[in-house]
Amino acid sequence: MNPMNPGGRLGLLARRCLLYATLAALLAAFTAPLLWALSGSFKPRGDIFGYPPRLLPDPATWHNYRTLLSDQPFGRWFLMSTVVALTATAVSVFVCALAGYGFAKFRFAGRRLLFGVMFSSLSIPFAVILVPLFVILVKTGLGSPWFALIVPWVAPAFGIFMMQQYIVQGVPDEVLEAARIDGCGEFRIFLRIVLPLLRPSLGALGVWTFLQSYNSFLWPLVLVSDSEQYTLPLGLQTLFRAENRQYDLVLAGAVLAVLPAVAVFVRLRRQLLEGLSTGAVKG
Amino acid sequence: MATPYLFIAPFYLLYVLFMLAPIGVALWLSLCEWVGLGTPHWVGLRNYHHLLTDGSFQRALGNTGVYVLVSVAVIVPAALLIAQALNVRGLRARDLWRTAYFVPMVVSPIVVALVFGLIFDRHFGLANAVLRALFGTGGVDWLGDPTMARVSICLVMVWRWTGYLTIFFLAGLQNVPRELYESASLDGAGRLRTFRAVTLPALRPVTAFVLVTSFIGAAQIFDEPYLLTGGGPSEATLSVAQFVYRAAFERQQFGYAAAAGVVLFAVVFTVSQLFNRLLGIGRPV
Repeated sequence: MNPMNPGGRLGLLARRCLLYATLAALLAAFTAPLLWALSGSFKPRGDIFGYPPRLLPDPATWHNYRTLLSDQPFGRWFLMSTVVALTATAVSVFVCALAGYGFAKFRFAGRRLLFGVMFSSLSIPFAVILVPLFVILVKTGLGSPWFALIVPWVAPAFGIFMMQQYIVQGVPDEVLEAARIDGCGEFRIFLRIVLPLLRPSLGALGVWTFLQSYNSFLWPLVLVSDSEQYTLPLGLQTLFRAENRQYDLVLAGAVLAVLPAVAVFVRLRRQLLEGLSTGAVKG
Repeated sequence: MATPYLFIAPFYLLYVLFMLAPIGVALWLSLCEWVGLGTPHWVGLRNYHHLLTDGSFQRALGNTGVYVLVSVAVIVPAALLIAQALNVRGLRARDLWRTAYFVPMVVSPIVVALVFGLIFDRHFGLANAVLRALFGTGGVDWLGDPTMARVSICLVMVWRWTGYLTIFFLAGLQNVPRELYESASLDGAGRLRTFRAVTLPALRPVTAFVLVTSFIGAAQIFDEPYLLTGGGPSEATLSVAQFVYRAAFERQQFGYAAAAGVVLFAVVFTVSQLFNRLLGIGRPV
């Protein structure tokens, strides 16, 4: 079973050791760059590129964090990113659940075609929309970040696909039938019965949407020109340029920017990792 | 009667407004010359003609091709191998491994770029320091040499995407009934044959999904090259998405940018629809 050792001559114990060694090496490769940046964020400017490189900061200092928070509008960037991402997440989860439910539990004329259209929108590269969408929004006066960073992105096809798969598996028809016999309206059924049954997968979709929005870079780069409305990625990028590519402040900013994302992910990882893959596994 | 349509209506409303309409506008703009102000000026197919002979666009296409190739031929198989390793029966700390491998995907691209900028620094970066300690020479110009810059971007892509795709394969593998493996081993099938006869067919839907997703992801890559190398040196890492961005927002050639976007769209959309057809994904359950 162990693909790392196709020969199979070694004993089981040795094979296990090899497996764990490989997994540990991968763990190091995937996390070391981030830990290196974390360590760098506590170093004085001159030590970040010191040779030989020091794994741990010595002396360790909060100076970068203090300067960043006192001299830069980091709090505002953070607020902007978080509010945008949370709003987008709340709306998106609801819209995706609606559409997913429509496709999962109803048979209607054009269902196959409409589903195909929805699914095929996954293969529309953002680059083709970038320019015209920007032009349309600016010309129609909808270019405000509060609108443009949120509204166009609240119905991702991936989310609908994921919800649809979940509802097919997780919402029994009998429950819906029983509610209908009791005279419950369709929208009430969705709110009162379907949504509560979906809670774990809504969590999964929520984390996914939050990360998409919180980490997005190209669209805010194009759209937001007023530095008062910068999101975190834009703020960090501008700061890095303004500081003449010095790493001390931006590393502190990077750590502070990543912490919430990693915290949300680690907290909800089970739901996310299982939720992400349900759709794809069944195909 | 109207109920299901009402449920899916919000999606289609947004789809028409923010996907279909922009694509329509892109098609029209691609036939115009426009600096972003005033009225666009109709030029027919001239933008497409220019693209054909534009060396930058060809480089962007070539680089994007490399990114797609790495994604499909390196990252996807690597993810499958890692998923196999994580699916070993009785593996300890499975949750720890898969969570840690996934973390790069959670990190914002700007942070990824900062982290790797720090590591790939020519003079003082960690990568060269490690090479110097191990081999005595560490003068690799990770981001300044055209070939190395491309390699570095690909390394970052591998770092960022592999753990993400592993999750899909792992879920797929955990879905394969154990009895299939048992009967294969009773039949005396070797490891490789079991993999080919049992694992791969069972993984078909996941593999299809992962291949298409990573193809689309790599074909429209922007963040990593833009932030890490700015597309350079001398366009060695320029992607098509950055070409579009540069034409529109740095050079005010909106029509030309739209044309490049349409070309990318045509290629990506056609290839992934073919994939979907061929591999049978994207139908409602």
